[in-house]
Amino acid sequence: MPAMRIRLDPWPVDIEGGQLALTPFEGDLIDIETTRWAAMPQRAIPERLRTVYVVDGKRRMESRVFVEDDHGAAGMGGFGAFVVGAVELCPHGTRQAQLRDVRASRILAHAPGLRLDPATLSPRDPHTGMLTYHPTPTLGEDQLAALSTLQGLMLDAEQQLSHGYASAVPQDEQDDREWLTALTIQDGTLRSKNLGGAVVGCVKTIQTMYLPPDRAHLLTDLKPGERTPILHMRYANGRVTRFIWYVRLCEATFYQHPMSGVMRLEMYAPDEPDFLPPIVRQVANLSGTLLMRLGSAAHKDPRAPQNLIPTAALEHAMTRSMGSAELVTRRIRAHIAQTYGREVVA
Amino acid sequence: MVLGTEDATPVSFWFAVLSGASVQMDDLVAVETRKPDGSRVHFYGIVDHVRTRHEGVSFDSDVQDVVAGLLPASVSYAARVLVTRVDPEDFIPPQPGDRVRHATGDSLKLALSADKMDFSFAGGLLADGQVLPINYQFVNGEQGGHINISGISGVATKTSYALFLLHSIFRGGVLERRGEGHNTRALIFNVKGEDLLFLDQPNRKVTDKEGTVETRKGWSQGRYPRLNLPVTPFRDVQFLAPPKGGSGEAIVPDVEQRAEGVTPFVFTLREFAAKRMLPYVFSDASASLNLGFVIGNIEEKLARLSAGDTTPYLTVDDWTPDTDVLIEEDVRFDEMGRTRLTTFSQLISYLEFKLLDQNDGEGDPKWVLKQNQGTLRAFVRRLRGVQKHLTPLVRGDLTAPQAERYRPDLLRRGVQTSVVDIHKLGAHAQSFVVGVLLRDLFEHKEKYGRQDTVFVVLDELNKYAPREGDSPIKDVLLDIAERGRSLGIILIGAQQTASEVERRIVSNAAIRVVGRLDLAEAERPEYRFLPQSFRGRAGILQPGTMLVSQPDVPNPVLVNYPFPAWATRKDEVDDLNGQSAQDVGEDWLR
Repeated sequence: MPAMRIRLDPWPVDIEGGQLALTPFEGDLIDIETTRWAAMPQRAIPERLRTVYVVDGKRRMESRVFVEDDHGAAGMGGFGAFVVGAVELCPHGTRQAQLRDVRASRILAHAPGLRLDPATLSPRDPHTGMLTYHPTPTLGEDQLAALSTLQGLMLDAEQQLSHGYASAVPQDEQDDREWLTALTIQDGTLRSKNLGGAVVGCVKTIQTMYLPPDRAHLLTDLKPGERTPILHMRYANGRVTRFIWYVRLCEATFYQHPMSGVMRLEMYAPDEPDFLPPIVRQVANLSGTLLMRLGSAAHKDPRAPQNLIPTAALEHAMTRSMGSAELVTRRIRAHIAQTYGREVVA
Repeated sequence: MVLGTEDATPVSFWFAVLSGASVQMDDLVAVETRKPDGSRVHFYGIVDHVRTRHEGVSFDSDVQDVVAGLLPASVSYAARVLVTRVDPEDFIPPQPGDRVRHATGDSLKLALSADKMDFSFAGGLLADGQVLPINYQFVNGEQGGHINISGISGVATKTSYALFLLHSIFRGGVLERRGEGHNTRALIFNVKGEDLLFLDQPNRKVTDKEGTVETRKGWSQGRYPRLNLPVTPFRDVQFLAPPKGGSGEAIVPDVEQRAEGVTPFVFTLREFAAKRMLPYVFSDASASLNLGFVIGNIEEKLARLSAGDTTPYLTVDDWTPDTDVLIEEDVRFDEMGRTRLTTFSQLISYLEFKLLDQNDGEGDPKWVLKQNQGTLRAFVRRLRGVQKHLTPLVRGDLTAPQAERYRPDLLRRGVQTSVVDIHKLGAHAQSFVVGVLLRDLFEHKEKYGRQDTVFVVLDELNKYAPREGDSPIKDVLLDIAERGRSLGIILIGAQQTASEVERRIVSNAAIRVVGRLDLAEAERPEYRFLPQSFRGRAGILQPGTMLVSQPDVPNPVLVNYPFPAWATRKDEVDDLNGQSAQDVGEDWLR
């Protein structure tokens, strides 16, 4: 009988969930690349891949509001802001990395059926610019409707951005002339439908263990930069299909769980598992090399190495572009006080 | 744009330099801000600090990731401005986001308060090649006066800059505008080497040197045209030097490099006595009260002795020197039975006789005045000590025309600049010459008032007016510093360390200039007028670069000035006078 062992989850406890949860997966997995279940070596990044984009999004609910329009209709809503953006970098290190399109959008989400004008919050000091909130109706009437509207807008924007940057992925065997010149790395799992771009999702945590127990040991055995073969995955409800594979970014230290440092990558897949686009294989091949380069160090980021260096910088920039939450709420309050008189001030 | 992450105040603020732009220290900038009522306030200032850093990264090691192209970061290039002028004087702060522009043309004039200057001259070139105006009325004594220059010696900046200023005053047109070009003069004491004996000769290196600078800066004009100054040496210069030692008929100036054009200067014994020069022989008269008393008494006695005649020598009737003196042929009847004192050593011997030998060692009671022998001996010993240096300078063996010819006349007609070479004299004799000449000048001006301005250039002020102790020459310099400006005597003083010079002299200077300084020296209170960043920089200034502080501008400004157009060494003298060798050759052949 093996001796009892305890090892650490690599992430600090104040990050919700931790890196490992290992809920078993109930769906279909098909070997699409090879039937031989063994580690695949890392490959160099091809010269013609000139640009890698790292895309992420962020949202913030700034105030919940109760709105009455000029016609007497009333409902709940909220002031919110979301931002999506990208870091453009050269995988060969020949250019400076740059932030792209990091701009905050502000919405005044409100219950459907109200007629509202955009709310423009003028500053107290003329040197600090204005904030404009565009009215957007929510889908439902429930408590979290405003938040989910915000979230939905953010995800849409994120997806548009990701696919807009990336090279197109051919979806059948006749079309193999596409080159992989631009790749988008999206933070987190892929959502919604495939828009056709070479977008790879990086899932930092292993909440669900997709691999059956007889295959999971390979994750422990991977060397840094190595990956598992690509699998075609379909959820139990049959609706979502993805190509997935695992990559190890760094050696796990002796006190950590042996699966720390392992990351799951996914790309959009057609429903029928009969074609593996060459671009997906290329991305899988270079993913180890690329992500090891982008991976951060533990003293700089508590979620290292999975939280990539550009992602951390992007998160920082996005937070900044939304402005100080405290100042924004204060300005909202001042705006309401100014526009509607003192008695409305909370 | 003015930064919002650093405090912006009416006296200092930071601004961000947009990418593609470049700002360096000492650039002058202008900012316009609006008050809530719509009125505008302009700030003018000088950049005293510039820095770049990565923005948006938190670790020093992030720079590797940024350079490797992994981590997006922007370079924040920011500069700090020390405000020199707020116009109108509404001391509100500039607002974050206000645009900062490079001050040129009219805004530069406002930045340097040149609009307040009725008369100005060029004090050098700013870092961007524009001219720094200096208010002449703060130099010539109308509103303020005196210039003080500090800097390490050997970097050859203090005297050069003083001469550059004189050149700029004399040839920059300010005197013509004021209609006083004909009677403004300079008196320069040459204390080191024979550097200043070629002021009237063109420098053959100037074209090369200035050409190099012009090319390096990519200017279309050299520094002299920019300053609107001619590339010419000094005009109307007289060179005075003490004569060579040893008696004899010929009086030859004691200089080596320059063969002609140097006039020797001597004082007659009678002048020595009549003009009461004795105290200037003693640089430490205050060391003992008794000694000062003796000096005062003898000074008085000598003055009486000199009265009633005009011969260069003095005659006494109660003393015969030990050595036989041949009766000279031109002996006058009324001198029969009297002894002539014709050399400085004879004068000392006479004083020794009067104080120590007469009356069997008691001395002449009227001369001794009951002082004890020790003091009298000290007095004589000190005189003997300087005898060697003063003998060639103070003599009675001159003919009257000689005395007339070799009397130093600093205000001679047709002379604009007088260079007095004292570098070969011993320290006591140097003090003597400086003290006597300045006192003469001062007394002359006291008598005739300020009809003209005389600039006195004196290096090593710490030697003549040290912070500790008193001396007659220090009194003269103090007089000049405190009252001279109303009389039209302007001291352009220089020293290595202002902290060792009498505070009242330094503090009376309206214009203060600092060249390279020792960093410990730069922290002394005398340099409080320099902001901290300038004090640090004073340690790395190159020759040809000075920090200039003037009353109109609250912050010092860094300037550079051109290579001298006059020779500063014999080998720099342009023998061909600016022409090519071929042209000169043709002149000879004609």
